[in-house]
Amino acid sequence: MKNDLNNSSAPVTGRRYWRSLDELADTPEFKDWLHREFPSGASEMEDGQSRRSFLKLMSASFALAGVATLGAGCRRPEEKLEPFGKQLENYTFGEAQYFATAMPTRTGAVPLTVKSYEGRPVKIEGNSLYPNGNGGTDRYAQASILDLYDPDRARQFKMRGADGRLYAVEREEALKYLESLAKKFATSSGEGLAFLAESSTSPSRARLQKIIAQKYPKAQWFTHDAIDSGIHQRAATQAFGQSVRPVFNFDKAKVILSLDCDFLGGEDDAHNHIRKFAAGRKADKGMSRLYAVESLFTLTGASADHRLRLAASLVGNVAYEILSQIAGGPESMSPWVGECAKDLIASRGNVLVVAGQRQPVEVHLLAHAINTALDSIGNTVTLLPAIEGANTDLTGLSAAASDTLVILGGNPAYNLNWSPASKSTTVVRLGYYEDESADKASWNFPATHYLESWGDATTSDGSLVPIQPLIQPLFSGLNELEFLARLAGETQTAAHEIVQATFGGSGESWKKFLYNGYTTVSTPAITDVKVIQSLNDLNGLLAAKKNPTVSPTNLEVVFFRDAKVDDGRYANNGWMQELPDPVTKMTWDNAVLISRKTARDLGVANGDLVEITLNGKSVVGPVWTQPGMADYSLGLALGYGRERAGRVGNGVGFNAYKIFNGDYVATGATIKKTGGTYTLACTQHHWSMEGRPAVREFNLATFEEDAKELNEKHETESVAEVKFRGVEPPIVQSLYPNPLDEAKKTALHQWGMSIDLGACVGCGTCVIACQSENNIPIVGKDQVLRGREMHWMRIDRYFTSDPKRKNASSTAKGINPRFDLGSDINKADEDQQFEEWIDDVQAVNQPMLCQMCETAPCENVCPVAATVHDQEGLNVMAYNRCIGTRYCSNNCPYKVRRFNFLDYNKRPLTELKGTLYSTTLTHKTDGEWDLKRWWNDPNSGMRTEDEWDLIKLSKNPDATVRMRGVMEKCTYCTQRIEHAKISQKAKAGASDNVRLTEAAGTVPKTACQQACPAGAIVFGDISDAKSSVSVLKTSGLNYSVLGNLLTRPRTTYLARVRNPNPAMPDYKDHHDPFSTEEYESQSLTKKGQS
Amino acid sequence: MGVLAGGAVAAGVTIYLTPKYTRAGYQPVQPVPFSHSIHAGQLGLDCRYCHNGVEKSWFANLPGASTCMNCHALVLKDDPRLAIVRNSAANNVPIAWVQVHKTPDYVYFNHSVHVTRGISCVECHGRIDQMDEVRHDKSFSMSFCLDCHRDPAAHIRPPDKVTKLDWQWSTNSVEAARLQNVNGKKFVHDWKVESLQSCSACHR
Repeated sequence: MKNDLNNSSAPVTGRRYWRSLDELADTPEFKDWLHREFPSGASEMEDGQSRRSFLKLMSASFALAGVATLGAGCRRPEEKLEPFGKQLENYTFGEAQYFATAMPTRTGAVPLTVKSYEGRPVKIEGNSLYPNGNGGTDRYAQASILDLYDPDRARQFKMRGADGRLYAVEREEALKYLESLAKKFATSSGEGLAFLAESSTSPSRARLQKIIAQKYPKAQWFTHDAIDSGIHQRAATQAFGQSVRPVFNFDKAKVILSLDCDFLGGEDDAHNHIRKFAAGRKADKGMSRLYAVESLFTLTGASADHRLRLAASLVGNVAYEILSQIAGGPESMSPWVGECAKDLIASRGNVLVVAGQRQPVEVHLLAHAINTALDSIGNTVTLLPAIEGANTDLTGLSAAASDTLVILGGNPAYNLNWSPASKSTTVVRLGYYEDESADKASWNFPATHYLESWGDATTSDGSLVPIQPLIQPLFSGLNELEFLARLAGETQTAAHEIVQATFGGSGESWKKFLYNGYTTVSTPAITDVKVIQSLNDLNGLLAAKKNPTVSPTNLEVVFFRDAKVDDGRYANNGWMQELPDPVTKMTWDNAVLISRKTARDLGVANGDLVEITLNGKSVVGPVWTQPGMADYSLGLALGYGRERAGRVGNGVGFNAYKIFNGDYVATGATIKKTGGTYTLACTQHHWSMEGRPAVREFNLATFEEDAKELNEKHETESVAEVKFRGVEPPIVQSLYPNPLDEAKKTALHQWGMSIDLGACVGCGTCVIACQSENNIPIVGKDQVLRGREMHWMRIDRYFTSDPKRKNASSTAKGINPRFDLGSDINKADEDQQFEEWIDDVQAVNQPMLCQMCETAPCENVCPVAATVHDQEGLNVMAYNRCIGTRYCSNNCPYKVRRFNFLDYNKRPLTELKGTLYSTTLTHKTDGEWDLKRWWNDPNSGMRTEDEWDLIKLSKNPDATVRMRGVMEKCTYCTQRIEHAKISQKAKAGASDNVRLTEAAGTVPKTACQQACPAGAIVFGDISDAKSSVSVLKTSGLNYSVLGNLLTRPRTTYLARVRNPNPAMPDYKDHHDPFSTEEYESQSLTKKGQS
Repeated sequence: MGVLAGGAVAAGVTIYLTPKYTRAGYQPVQPVPFSHSIHAGQLGLDCRYCHNGVEKSWFANLPGASTCMNCHALVLKDDPRLAIVRNSAANNVPIAWVQVHKTPDYVYFNHSVHVTRGISCVECHGRIDQMDEVRHDKSFSMSFCLDCHRDPAAHIRPPDKVTKLDWQWSTNSVEAARLQNVNGKKFVHDWKVESLQSCSACHR
């Protein structure tokens, strides 16, 4: 199954695109991976079972099965249909219902519309009615529905017995206990009672909190988040002298400077930032420019036009330097910072400087000072009234909780390493899982999911949104509001009534509130503010922090919110664990991220286990070399290494909280090799395009030049014939007629898609949305290592760098002390001459899914015609016809087809292979033949019926759940297309109004398109010249990937446009679109030869 | 010997594993002796009175017992045969009807698009209005679906006649066939009825 693909057309000169350091170095491992359709062993049965012996065995078992079937009779099992006793009004079985609700986050909420079939929520979408949104969501919201159906969630009320074990108790008994607590604290005014909660924006919870404070005046309330997003509010409050929180308007800014602020990735509310940022990055409508200073390589850095690789503890220096430039200080020693400051000053009024959640408050104050100095407040920064209950100091917690500690959500035993200070403290916990903290609690109350409970929340822009339940609690959980109300001894305990009382109305306004899913509470922006700190004060603030030189013996550690498991709360969510990290493409693990230079200096390589010691504590984890990391900076993702997460999340990765003390950036760490190695499941080589230039880039200057020329030519030539320089490579016309030409004449629609590489930031929301919509299973780390992940769409992340580009890091003179060392700088540069350009990378993200080729190469190799075209241009897959030869995948140039090697749906990850599949024929377990064991119980290891029933609830009934042995791939969400067509036809009845049109709003959205916060994916009818997708396809930036193969893909891409500043030291004038020049010349040569 | 065994296997597969024989003719006993021939035939109740989702959903929907009680609160109100129905309506206990018509799980058949576009119930279900106990009348094999999808003009009728199972273009069968041919083609053309034969029409 080895392919010889020697027609690689990777550019030899100019910019280079690569997925990993292995690819760049062209290591044997990479080549081997590349030349196989599936990686070595992926298409073979492992552990000694050969295909031949398996077939022999199977033919025997088929014969036996045949006998059994004949004996047992042949009718399908009798099935029952049970209609309601009392018919429900306005309900039709089989039609989906949609309800507005919201997912609460730490500092806001995501307004949602949730699709429900037969009373079970199956798919989460953004609320498209919501004014400050576009129907997009983030990946956490998309994945949260899987938590609802998690078989491992807490199902019972539990009390710790005298023997120290937890025993299940009846719900009534648990509620009586809450009542007794309420009575006790009513008499003692809450003496010895403390609450530990996660931050929340719910007005109802705030109201109950006040009631508790009145009833139990001595009780104390603590709020804690492992990932503290409250810093933005605290810093703004300190900077402006009144209680405010900032809202950043990335759409209004022309020049943006990110000071270690991953606003497109790790920051709270990232989906809103992505939406606004994408709106400001339209090449033809005044594109913004993004400067990023950061130590980790983040999604924000990947989207930046100029990126400065700098240790996180030195980022404050850049902020200070820029502020002094604005204040007219001496010219900066660093050309990068100097030119950046000039650009900021020149764009006064349209500038936005943001400091990251990881950065200390001083850096935030500097950012606000710069924003104020450049007239950004009220323009690119809106100040809204603060939300109560941001992070508080936990020092008094154990003293306050002398009698009872109530823990609402969170997992302090895991992420605070907390345990009860004294044995006399009764710990009452309301938690979604029986996790690490439940182990230390005396009472454990199962919490409800947000899709099963009433609630409310405030979004980041100040709107009140309802949280409406779509289903009764699956396991009799208790709502947080009800829990608090009962604890407070309130008479009104139903969450629905509490929320309604907070809202203050039950009539039409309440109905409208629930229908729309939001109500805009008028929160006027605060404009009358002054920055209280003067420049000198800020200098003083920084003085203590200045010049903490990082070195191999004084490493910096950066702790960050993981893109998948958040602070650990999604550790048992299989979709999240298997989603390749947007930057590292790592699945099922976290790693110690380091730069190449650091790896070399410390003598470590990918997969080496190292012990990191910080403040006397240590943790062991595997090393991963990440291009773009700052030198001597270690990136540790929080949220892994859970011990009591559940069957999916237990023991995945290592627990970085062990050395975390609340400072997200810490210096003084040392590293030691333990000698062990560890295998990491990274998908960056999977489905590689072997250096063929799949992505295209432009500089804005080139774009404008071409646009001008295009305008001039427009008078004489048709637009379609004038192309931007080389975006679409020359396509030789085929001799054969296109088989679709005939169908196009009669079909109602022709579907197509356009993906804007300039808008896509690579966040991965679409991947999870696709997984949710299309019932895509997870396969586990072992299977990912074999290249068997099932995602129908993936995000290819290409690093790009330019050997000729000037060294960006050395332009950080005066900022990075390493470069102030005189002779050392030259030496470092000399021996790194080859390397530095690799480290100063940029990245391009390309969502890759079935391209729906009109002349699809997969179709003509299928021996059973299981994959063929329909009349509307879809390359369809008939699962029940597929016999699993995998020829189609072999022949697909885009590598977008996925094969069900095992029964991923009905078997848990640990039991994927069953009794026979994993062993040889002669194998015995406990003295018994495996064949006999299998015969006795062929379903051994399958999920139990009740667990399977629970999991079935989460499946989308509109899409088939595929079994082992069939091929599958993106279908353009054919179920949504069919549903839209059927609805339109049913509406048309005896008329010809059957065509879906964008004008009438009847064209469906694919799951990826609907979820994308950037609006990068547009799907529609390309036979309608006025549809958005048709218009985008006439854009000069439109190109098809590998178009010269004459596959005629229906999915095309818009080239990415960057907006670099010509004055910057790391600028290079790419006169031609990156990566196309070589491609073009090569295809021209080929044309000449043929 | 080999020929015999092969023949036996072929016959076994044909009889037991193809939908033509596995389901056609299936007539299970239902918990309530409800007669379609009385209700739909003699009384002339429209199919949609009970199967009220048929124009909106993929599923025709079964009536709740409360729908039965609209009439049976007065008619046959103490009949012992209706005890289950009365109990269901009073206590909201579902009646466990046995499913008769079934397509395979990988087939996504949709009622609404067929009945609203002039394909009558009778095309797939036969003369339900003449059955006491409902019987699976047609085979529901893939070729059964395709026969119609290849030539919708031979089956299409005015949408207001889809629930009239005995309706004909004319009492004269020759004339009826002629009118079906003429009008069928006209409907297919005027309403832009597609002859859908690609996989995506039924499989997702």
